[in-house]
Amino acid sequence: MTRTRTAALFAAAAAALLAIAGCTGSGAAGAGAGTDELKAGVFLDVTSWDPANADIGFDGPYLSAVYDPLVALDKDAKPIPALAKSWDWSADRLSLTMHLRDDVAFDDGQKFDSAAAVENLNHLKSGTRSGQAYIDVKSVEAKDASTVVLHLSERDDALLYFMGLGRSWMASPKAIKANSLANGPDGSGPYTFDKGSSQPQSQYVFKKRAKHWDSATYPFPTVRLFPITDQAASFNAMLSGQLNVQFANAANLPKAQQNGWNVAKKPASWVGVQFADRTGSQVKALGDQRVRQAISYAFDAAGILKAVGNDAGTVTDQLWPSGSQVYDAAGNGKYKTDLAKAKQLLAEAGYANGFSLKMPMSTIFQAWQPAAEQTFGQLGIKVDWQNMSMPDYQKNAPTYPMFLAVIAMDGNDMATLTDQVTSKQWYNPNPSVDAFPEVKALVQKAEQAQPGPGQTAALKELNTKLVDLAWWNVWYQADNLYFSVKGITVTPITGMMFPTLRFIQRG
Amino acid sequence: MLTFIVKRLVSGILLLVLVTSGTFFLAHTAVGDPTAGLLGNSATPAQQAALRAQIGYDRPLLAQFWDWLTHAATGDFGTSWRNFQPVGEQIALRVPVTLSVVVAATLLAAILGVLVGVICGLRPGGVVDRVLKLASVVLFALPGFWVSLVLVTWFAIQLQWFPAVGYVSPDQSVVGWLRSIALPSISLSLGAIVMIAEQLRNGFLQVANQDFVRTLRARGLSSRRVTTHVLRNASPSALTVLALMFVGLLGGAVVVEIVFNLPGIGSLTQSASQIGDIPVLLGLTAVTVVFVVIVNFLLDLVLGWVNPKVRDR
Repeated sequence: MTRTRTAALFAAAAAALLAIAGCTGSGAAGAGAGTDELKAGVFLDVTSWDPANADIGFDGPYLSAVYDPLVALDKDAKPIPALAKSWDWSADRLSLTMHLRDDVAFDDGQKFDSAAAVENLNHLKSGTRSGQAYIDVKSVEAKDASTVVLHLSERDDALLYFMGLGRSWMASPKAIKANSLANGPDGSGPYTFDKGSSQPQSQYVFKKRAKHWDSATYPFPTVRLFPITDQAASFNAMLSGQLNVQFANAANLPKAQQNGWNVAKKPASWVGVQFADRTGSQVKALGDQRVRQAISYAFDAAGILKAVGNDAGTVTDQLWPSGSQVYDAAGNGKYKTDLAKAKQLLAEAGYANGFSLKMPMSTIFQAWQPAAEQTFGQLGIKVDWQNMSMPDYQKNAPTYPMFLAVIAMDGNDMATLTDQVTSKQWYNPNPSVDAFPEVKALVQKAEQAQPGPGQTAALKELNTKLVDLAWWNVWYQADNLYFSVKGITVTPITGMMFPTLRFIQRG
Repeated sequence: MLTFIVKRLVSGILLLVLVTSGTFFLAHTAVGDPTAGLLGNSATPAQQAALRAQIGYDRPLLAQFWDWLTHAATGDFGTSWRNFQPVGEQIALRVPVTLSVVVAATLLAAILGVLVGVICGLRPGGVVDRVLKLASVVLFALPGFWVSLVLVTWFAIQLQWFPAVGYVSPDQSVVGWLRSIALPSISLSLGAIVMIAEQLRNGFLQVANQDFVRTLRARGLSSRRVTTHVLRNASPSALTVLALMFVGLLGGAVVVEIVFNLPGIGSLTQSASQIGDIPVLLGLTAVTVVFVVIVNFLLDLVLGWVNPKVRDR
C-alpha cells in the first residue's frame, strides 16, 4: 500500500466523521441550551407507567406529564385541588368527601367521574408500592357522579399530603381493568406521551395537550425527560446544551455559577446515626439517654457536611425539615461538637472506657465511615463493621442496635411524625414510643390536635423532647440540588426527589 | 466440517446452561431478600411480604430455579422485579444499543488496526511503528472512563460536534444514530486498535521472514501479491484477538454506556445489580453467553476456512 493511498484512506475516514459531526441530529442531540422546550435530566428511569407500581421519588416528572392527580401540592407541600376541586373532612376526620371536576377525559375517551376515581383509588390502595399511602383508608364510595367519599379506619392527617406527593394519579379505568398500564400511560394529564419520538430508558418525549383544564401551569409545548443516573454524564449533557434542567451534584456548584445557571435546593434527606435500640435491649448503653447524647456531641457535623456533603445542607439536630413550621431554628445546635462534654456524659453513664457493638456497612455509606470510625474511636466505642450490599443493608440494618443513615424526609409535618417516629419502617425498626411515656403523651397530643397552630405547637414540643432525648443523632439535612438555565426555574419540594412538572416554570 | 459445527454448538449450549445456573444460585446467595431494595424506604413488612409472593420469591429456591430454567428454554426470561415488564422485551430494547457501539468499535478496530499493523509490518522502525509503540503504552495506562470524558469534553462540550449523552435509534434518524454512537465507539475502540495493530505487525514480521516468502519474492511476484500472502498467514492471531476484543468490548461497554448514558445492556446490568433485580441479571447473563458462544463459533469457522488444519482439533 502506498503512502498516498494510506493518506487518502485516513482523509476519507476523517471527512466521514466530520460530515456526521456536522449534521444536525434530530431530537436533543446538540440542540443547544434554549428554553423553547423543557429538557430535564432525571436521576432515574421511570419505574412504571402504572401509578400503583410507580415510586414517588424520581417518577414524579414522568407521571405528572401524562396523569392528573386528585390532589396536588403547592410550593410549601400543602395539598391543593386538582381533579378534586375541593374536599371536606367529617367532624371526626374519619371521612373525606371529595368533589370532582366534570370536564376531564382520559386519552382513550373515557370520562373522568366518581366511578373512575373509585376504580383508581381501589387500584392504588391495593398496589404494592402505592398502598402505603392508603393504609388507613377502609373503603371508597361514589356518592354521586362527581363526589367520592374515602372512609378511614383511623384518623390520618397526612393522607392528603401523600395523595398530592404522587399517590393520586388518575388513570383510565379501562386500562386499569385491562392491566395495560405497564405498557404505557393512559391518563388525562397536561401532555401526551409521544411514543414514536421516545427511546425507552434514554429519552421520553411529551407533547402538550391541545386542551387541558390546567394548561396555564404547564408552559412548555414539548417536554423531554432523560433518565441519567451518572451525575458526571448529566452535568456534561447540561454543559453541552442537551439539557436545560438537571438533578445536580453539589460538587459542580462553582461551575454552575460560572455558567450563570439558576440553582435551586431544598432539604431532601437527613444524614447521621439512627439509634434503633433506644431501649437498650441489644446494647444496654444505648438505652441510656446520656450515651446517645454523648454520641451526638462527639460528631463534627459541620465538618462532615463540608467534607462529604459538599456543604449542600443544613447542620442541625432536628429531623423536621429546616424551614418547616415545626423546625426550631432558635433551639438548633444543642449538640454543638464538644468532645469533652461527650466523654463526661459517657463517664457519668458508666461507660468511661466506651463499649463494643456491631454496625452494618454498605458501599453507599462508605463516604461517612472514616468520620464515624474516628469519632467512635475517640469515645472508646469499638465498632465491628459488617460489610453488605445495599439491598442487604436495608434488610439487615434494622437488626443492629444503631446504623449510619441517609433517610428521605417529608415536606409535611404530620407525615414526618408518622414516617420517622411512630410507624415501623426499615430505618425505624423499633419506634419505641410506648417505652417513653413522655414521648407517647406528646405524640398523642399532636395526633389528637386539630390541624393548624395547635397541632404545630404540639409537634414543636415533641420535636424539642426528641432532640433532648437524642432520639436520633442527626448530623445534617442534605439538600437536593437542581440546575436550570436562565429562563427556567425549578421549585424543589421536600418529599419529592425530583419535583413534578408543575414546579418547573419559565422565569 | 459438520462434526466440527455440531461439537461447537453442543459445547456452547453446555456453557450456557452452566453459566446461567451458576449465576442463578450466586445471585440468590449474594442479593438475599430483594424486597427492601425494590420497594424503597417506606415499605412495610406487609408490603414486602406481598411483593415476595408476587414475584415468587417465597417459594423454595430449587422450585424457582426449575421454573426459570424451563421458561428460559422457551425464550421467556420472566418479568423484572422492579417494573414488572418482561425481561426479554427490556433486553431486546437494549441489545441494539450495545451492539451498535460494540460492532462499530470492532469495525473501527479491525479497519484501523489492520491498516496500522500492515504499515508497521512493512516499515518496522518507521514513524507509524514508533507511534504505535508509544500509543500501546499510553492507551493501556489510561483508564477507559478518562478517555471517554476527554472525548466528551472536546467533541461534545467544546466543539459540540457530537451529543454528550443519549442514543438515537437508526429508525428515528440514521445520522442521529451515527452521531450518538460515534464517541462511545471511538472511546471503546482505541485500545483495541492498538492491540490488533501490534498483533498483526508482529505476525506480519514473523511471516515475512519465512522461507516461502523469500521464494515468492525470488519468483518475481509483485510486492502487493507478496503482502497479500503474508497477511493471510499472519491474520489468524489478529482474528483471534479481534474476536476476544469483541467479547471484551461487551464487558467494557458498561463504562462507556454510563459515561454517555446509553441505554444498553451494560448500564442495565449495573442498575439491575444495584437493586437486586435477579430475573434481569439472569436474562442478561444468558444473552451475553449466547453472544460469546456465537462469536467464538464464527471465529472457529473463519479460522477453519483460513487454515483447514484447525478443523481437525
